[in-house]
Amino acid sequence: MDNFFLEQTNSTPLIDFNAVTGELVMAGESYPENSFEFYQPIKSWLTVFLAQHQGRVCLHVRLTYLNTSSTKIMMDFLDLLEASHQQGRAVAVIWYCDRENERAIETAEEFKEEITFPFDITLEP
Amino acid sequence: MDRMLNLYDLKEHFTEDGILICFSGPFSHSIIEELGNAVKRYMESEEVTRAALMDVFAVYVEMAQNVRNYARRKEEAGDRTYDFNNGIVVIGKRDDAYVISAGNFVKQQDIQPAVTAIEALRAMTPAELKQAWKRQLHQDTPPNATGAQLGLIDISRKACKPLDYTIQPLDNEYAFFTIRATI
Repeated sequence: MDNFFLEQTNSTPLIDFNAVTGELVMAGESYPENSFEFYQPIKSWLTVFLAQHQGRVCLHVRLTYLNTSSTKIMMDFLDLLEASHQQGRAVAVIWYCDRENERAIETAEEFKEEITFPFDITLEP
Repeated sequence: MDRMLNLYDLKEHFTEDGILICFSGPFSHSIIEELGNAVKRYMESEEVTRAALMDVFAVYVEMAQNVRNYARRKEEAGDRTYDFNNGIVVIGKRDDAYVISAGNFVKQQDIQPAVTAIEALRAMTPAELKQAWKRQLHQDTPPNATGAQLGLIDISRKACKPLDYTIQPLDNEYAFFTIRATI
């Protein structure tokens, strides 16, 4: 399976998904003009990937802002990971937050409340 | 020479109302991005907490994108009665709070769901708003849904008081709708 890579733009995040290592990175800000259109291919890739990949999957999130449509899609992604986890796969999320940004930390914590797999909130610096 | 719009008066009017950034025109995605950068830079100069900066930015993005998404819906419906993409967004400061308002042309029947939602949200406590947010987050949305519901809940959660809105009828079917959040 091919890796998935998208350059970061002003309003869309860097997507760097490695199909071999299972290390998936999302970074930047997310408020695309059309979230559904933007994330559709990414969601498809993730669905196929989770069905095929045998090793550990770790999603690294360095998103400093998500609009509400992106938040909904992130929830969908986490639901996909949760389903994998329920099937016995090794999945994890590491969510990196600016130590000074209370709102970003809250966002991460609220996502963490929704799932049962390992979800680590790392404060930086 | 024909009468010139008195921009100084307009600017003074803005200053009196505590308005810092104002855009009236077509809400293209790139304008939303650029104005967003201006909002962020402005908030950085205000020396507020990172959370406050992101709240103001987030509310601005949600309001601006709601206008744009609505305009797209009207375009798909073939409604050319008004230039629905031509809205107004204003960011200002009143006492120590930031006020973000947006206005756009709407079909009166279209805003009923938004008005019902806002009225319900106005009455909620922070805990109830969080519940409403979680409920809406898990709702299965059809691909063409604009997601305005989630946006209104998010704005309400970030605001320090209930959302205000006005509906100014323009004729029997259409109106100018404005929404205001105080952070």
